[in-house]
Amino acid sequence: MNCAVLENRPLAGGFFYLSLKPDQPFGAITPGQFVMIRCGDGLDPLLRRPMSVADFAPDGSRLGLLIQQKGKGTELLAELQAGAHVDVIGLFGNGFDPPRGRVWMVAGGTGIAPFMGYVQTHRAQAGSLTVFLGARSAESLLMRDVFERAHVALRIATDDGSAGHHGLVTALLEKALANETPPEMILACGPEPMMTAVAALAARRGVPCGVSLEARMACGFGACLGCVTKVKGPELYVTVCQKGPVFDAAQIEFGL
Amino acid sequence: MSGAELSVTVAGVKLKNPLLGASGTFGYGLTYEKFYNLSLLGGFVTKGLSLHPRKGNPPPRVAETAAGMLNAIGLQNLGVDRFIVKKMPRLRQIDTAVIVNFFGETVSEYAELAARLDALDGVAALEMNISCPNVERGGAAFGTDCKMTEQVVTACRKATKKPLIVKLSPNVTDISMFARAAEHCGADALSVINTLLGMAIDIKTRRPVLANVTGGLSGPAIKPVALRAVWQCYKAVKIPIFGIGGIASAADVVEFALAGAAAVQVGTMNFVEPGILPRLVRDVGALLDEMGVKRFTELKGAAHGAG
Repeated sequence: MNCAVLENRPLAGGFFYLSLKPDQPFGAITPGQFVMIRCGDGLDPLLRRPMSVADFAPDGSRLGLLIQQKGKGTELLAELQAGAHVDVIGLFGNGFDPPRGRVWMVAGGTGIAPFMGYVQTHRAQAGSLTVFLGARSAESLLMRDVFERAHVALRIATDDGSAGHHGLVTALLEKALANETPPEMILACGPEPMMTAVAALAARRGVPCGVSLEARMACGFGACLGCVTKVKGPELYVTVCQKGPVFDAAQIEFGL
Repeated sequence: MSGAELSVTVAGVKLKNPLLGASGTFGYGLTYEKFYNLSLLGGFVTKGLSLHPRKGNPPPRVAETAAGMLNAIGLQNLGVDRFIVKKMPRLRQIDTAVIVNFFGETVSEYAELAARLDALDGVAALEMNISCPNVERGGAAFGTDCKMTEQVVTACRKATKKPLIVKLSPNVTDISMFARAAEHCGADALSVINTLLGMAIDIKTRRPVLANVTGGLSGPAIKPVALRAVWQCYKAVKIPIFGIGGIASAADVVEFALAGAAAVQVGTMNFVEPGILPRLVRDVGALLDEMGVKRFTELKGAAHGAG
């Protein structure tokens, strides 16, 4: 689907936010679903990049993507100017379950993206939503204002201690789980070591935990079988694009 | 609307156009139904089937490379029994040529599969995979040793009356020897080529990107190699050839035809542009009109010159 770039906003630390208007609305979106975006018109880079939908219009007539500049594909996306066009296909994947009771969301890096849509979609339950946001420093805390405006509880951890808890976001979560009534759900999205730790902490307190996984992906729609993750049970490998990207953390064999 | 005649007959199979989805990139076909009507295609080749389900290789299984990608899926598939029960009923309803790709670990497994598939209504032809580079047993072991190619093709030929296509590996010194061996042992057509063996290393971790270490290279990067292989096979054999390797445009399709392909299969580009096959059907028609070519079949092998 052809999309017009409405805005390309550079953020700290090599991140940027792309706002896109598709020629036709994508339709209803579940936070945590993703799209596959083409980087340039040529054959190199070849493959589309999977991108979690950040915020969006309820009918899918606008999508926001939070992207980290990592390689040649995302560099091309970073150069897009308002008015340019990009080729996006989707929506793919399952997305996060709606809130049941109190929900703690744990995010690192671009892992914050799907939670922008989550707090927006479930704003009626804003009072029961808490976001644990981790970053390297105060200036690289992404989209902090979005969560402040959404009136959800925000707990911050930075590696250098320049804002919030001095240390890992998972340490902040560990402390909260030890000292407070645990929530009914934990949702996590971020680097694999973070998710491994969150899954272990949630399991220890018996809190159901949904994790949104990242995988090297060629197609995004179940044809290539490239994006599998290892699960407990007889199936062994399941595709992240179709069975995920959100999984029950208890099903995942972390640390491959 | 193009005026050019695109229909071709390959190994006795009538195809409404020369554009097919390639095995390993096309699932069991149905994956693409959400993007377009599969009856627009000449046909497609299913993911390779084995006698028993296979779980495939551990991840990471794919890596992007310059204008291409590496994969080491490891022939993950649901097995022939579940394919017959779960996929065939729907596949029979689609007005296109359904070609089933299969592979075994031994000659007798290949033959057993060929016999099982021989009995299946709605399967237009069988494609033997003797060229998968990503599994230890089966696949490439048969496709990189001429004697083993002869054995396994002979055994499958005896087991089926359906058109038998042999998919060749490019990871050999002289592909035309394998083309001749397959033809001599009763193959009705060739698919040329499967992926090229390659690898990628992550300079941060200093380790191979793929868990399997090596994988099959595909995509536009391999097109010149594939075209050369089709050229050599066309010179070597009389049976028709499906050209495969990095096809991304109507011009690529015409190039393969000129090299000697009777039809083509599109693989990796389906991942990038899921609607590419129906687009190429239209684009090839338009390109033929522009070239003043009335029938696609006129192009076959034309680059080899007269006589």
